[in-house]
Amino acid sequence: MDSRSPVRQSAKLAFNADAAAIVIALALAALIRLNVIPHIGW
Amino acid sequence: MSTQTVPLPLESTRQRPLWRQLLALIPGTALLFGVGFAGKGTESLGHYLRTTRHIAFPQIEYVLWAILLGLAIGNAVRLPALFRPGLATYELWLKLGIVLVGAKFLLGDLLHLGGLSLILVAIELVLSLSVMMMLGRVFKLRPKLTSLLAIGSSICGVTAIMAAQGAIDSEEQDTSTAIAAILTLGALALFTFPAIGHALHMGQQSYGLWTGLAVDNTAEATVTGALYGDEAGRIAILAKTARSSFIGFVVLGYAVYWASRGQAQHVEHKALFLWQKFPKFILGFVAISILATAGFFSASQLNSLGNLSRWAFLPAFAGVGLRTNVRDLIHQGWRPILVGVLGEIFLALVTLALVLFATHGAVR
Repeated sequence: MDSRSPVRQSAKLAFNADAAAIVIALALAALIRLNVIPHIGW
Repeated sequence: MSTQTVPLPLESTRQRPLWRQLLALIPGTALLFGVGFAGKGTESLGHYLRTTRHIAFPQIEYVLWAILLGLAIGNAVRLPALFRPGLATYELWLKLGIVLVGAKFLLGDLLHLGGLSLILVAIELVLSLSVMMMLGRVFKLRPKLTSLLAIGSSICGVTAIMAAQGAIDSEEQDTSTAIAAILTLGALALFTFPAIGHALHMGQQSYGLWTGLAVDNTAEATVTGALYGDEAGRIAILAKTARSSFIGFVVLGYAVYWASRGQAQHVEHKALFLWQKFPKFILGFVAISILATAGFFSASQLNSLGNLSRWAFLPAFAGVGLRTNVRDLIHQGWRPILVGVLGEIFLALVTLALVLFATHGAVR
């Protein structure tokens, strides 16, 4: 990669971000559905 | 989708145990969340100072604060290498936010707006690819650089470029230049699109649709939409997601073209190629939307999921600022940037006309 590349400050993730995002989202959705997490505010 | 990723040497990642790889994510991830929370905190502080203390303080949304703080930090100091692995997780937070925002769409809305988006995306694709190829010839860019710019501007910004790099065997310098052009244009969109939207008194849905169609990188499209309002942000994500689903077809088209000229490897299994390039997180977005439509969640739970997606977007917005190095963008050369700017201006105008025409009477 070019030493002056605009992408130099990133690295490749060691895991699949798509799969991780889906798994985390579904897990959090299940916790909310089961009222383990009763409320998330903003 | 935006994956500005520089592959680490394979040996270095394979030899390190998993716990060390996860540990390495902590500093950069903490920085992403720190900057994101600081952005939200600055917005709240500003609100407090204006309303309670009557002190003049810029009325800026947390989205822009997170980006500005990230830009300031990322460009004022050269971040140590230990932050790099964690900074790359901004992609995870962005995708997590997008999947969760599926809870805000009923399947009917998804089919209606998604279907409309798909039609507009198809038109946008043809125009974008044609204009970029023509501009590349006029400004005498290297053919593969032109291909990368066309792919990046028509589909999904940086991810599409990275996906195409391997498929058309382009040089790393061309990839880097094309990414720089797309990131520069994304940065410009952050400030110009909301201003144009307000000047034209665009509705949330029209603006969101326009942003999703015209802004190249998913992160920048999400931010540019969110800067106009929550609903605009959600619609921008939907339109951008529809656009991203075409990534495999366009990259495959270019791969076949360059292979026919003997300048890239032949694609043996086209269906497998399409599946590999398809952004899988879209499936999660649709799955959450189906669950929401089926009444799986109560109204307050849907509200919690929506808020959760906003929290997930915070570090992603911070990442947009942190990973943008203004000095390096400027040094990439003026011709690709000029081609990108001209092409994007044309596309912004065409997609604006398309959206205004398509949404007239259909959506506000």
